[in-house]
Amino acid sequence: MDAKKKQEIIARLINDGEKDKAVQLLAAWSEQTSFRDVIFNVLEPMLVSWGKLWMQGKLSLAHGYLSGKVAEEFYLVAAKNPEFNSSMAKTKGTIILGNVEDDFHPLGRRLVGIYAQTAGWNIIDLGTDVPAELFVEKAIECQADIIAVSAMMFTTAKNILKVRQELEKHNLSGKIKLAVGGAIFKLRPEMVAEVGGDGTADTAIEAPDLFADLLLKNEL
Amino acid sequence: MNSLERVLATVTGADADYQPFTMLLSLYGASLIKSDTYSYYRDPERWAEGQYAVVNTFDPDIVITPFSFAIEAEAFGSEMVFLNKYAPNVRKPIISNLAQIDSLPGPDFEKSQSIQFFLKGTDFLAEKYKGTRAIASPIHSPADLPALLMGIEMWIDTLLFHPEDVAKIMKKTIDHFVRLGNEFIERGATFLIVPVNFTTPMIITERIFAQLIPYLHEAFRQIKGPIVIHNGGAKLIPFIDRFAKLPNVIAFVLEPTESFNEARRIIGDDLVLMGNFDGPNSVNLSIEKANEVTLKILNNRKEDKHFIFATSNADIPYDTPVETIKAVVDTIRGFKKYGEDGSSESEVRRSAL
Repeated sequence: MDAKKKQEIIARLINDGEKDKAVQLLAAWSEQTSFRDVIFNVLEPMLVSWGKLWMQGKLSLAHGYLSGKVAEEFYLVAAKNPEFNSSMAKTKGTIILGNVEDDFHPLGRRLVGIYAQTAGWNIIDLGTDVPAELFVEKAIECQADIIAVSAMMFTTAKNILKVRQELEKHNLSGKIKLAVGGAIFKLRPEMVAEVGGDGTADTAIEAPDLFADLLLKNEL
Repeated sequence: MNSLERVLATVTGADADYQPFTMLLSLYGASLIKSDTYSYYRDPERWAEGQYAVVNTFDPDIVITPFSFAIEAEAFGSEMVFLNKYAPNVRKPIISNLAQIDSLPGPDFEKSQSIQFFLKGTDFLAEKYKGTRAIASPIHSPADLPALLMGIEMWIDTLLFHPEDVAKIMKKTIDHFVRLGNEFIERGATFLIVPVNFTTPMIITERIFAQLIPYLHEAFRQIKGPIVIHNGGAKLIPFIDRFAKLPNVIAFVLEPTESFNEARRIIGDDLVLMGNFDGPNSVNLSIEKANEVTLKILNNRKEDKHFIFATSNADIPYDTPVETIKAVVDTIRGFKKYGEDGSSESEVRRSAL
């Protein structure tokens, strides 16, 4: 069966709400080829295609959530496979991800994490309501390339400035890039600069490209 | 013909003297009376002052009782944040794990500051406008309230994987919806206006929607008055046929990019259509552009007697120039939808032939 057909089958199962069956099938195909093959030739193209459909208003947030759950659970299965772990040892880079202090809206952040992980980034997800100090502390500890901070509202987005100040305090501005995202930045793009962000992406699906651009800037 | 009669004429399809309209100027009342948003959304008397200013300035045919998703969620214990020049928002949902649903208390109507704000705000409007203007009371759909109480991610997860917990929380939100909705009606609301932000194809799948329909039916059938379904910022048309079959539903407020003709094709000619001027975008419009957009909508619905011009989506922003809103109102009031005897212009033309 070719990869395109596999993508269609997984898309159909997700559309029908059959999360467990989708994960089982992905795992079974991985036994036949490899986890790496299934991730890069089945799961990632399917997620990208669904992301585009969602951006066009042709799929619901629930579809996105469900596909994210399938990816998440499949990664847990894959993580138990030593061959997969060694094949993924070289990642594109490490990202510290979280909702900023006082922000409790996790969905966008989780989708960013899933898309970025599928695209080959090492994601360390700190969850919601993360203080600025913890973002930077973890970034130093994990030698991260990027800190990616999510905020939905104007009031919480302003807390991202504390992450920038913390980076400044440790003389890390320019060395660790600060990506920002969330509904408020679509509504008020000027806020990216106001909170000290190095860049943003309108949707979760565009986040891996943003991270690649920021990494390139880090290397220049 | 007063405003209430004008609005009621659209329900029966009777002739009116001119095109009725309404605009979501709930927040804008604070701007008109130069109020900070904290006192405006805490003190029903202050809020009512803002709405009196709205009526005196723009003369809408429908007045709207307090509109705030966050305050309704606060009544259940969610934490709220007040924003300068914006309506309040939910800071932190009250439910962080599904086990909490069982112990989630419904709001105490007598003691809850949030519920009292809604009810007293309604009383103020009813006292002043009942019988002369239509009074619309916004209230959360019982299928949307869980998204505010637990956050959208947990709600989607619950809908997908935990049907027994959906039943538990829907029981609570339906009880609340029926009690608050009927309280609004008893206090003078002409109809309820129910935004369905989270019950749209942008958020949920058709399968989930089908799962929610029986709950909505159960809730709506217990309301002792008409219900208007509001787009809430999302597209309604993909689900409109099933919303139209729910008890007491008499009207829909469409999203600005949606087609009235398409909606009519699906639901027929009898239900009222409302909208579809983009309220939040009004702050970005020049007076000329506001006139142009208004006229385009009016001309599109010229033959439609079951139509009320309305703003779609969320509140008109605090900083929108008064002149822009007045331009929209003047264009509506100056529009010759009906002939001298109240018949529509097309009927006049037809009878002349």
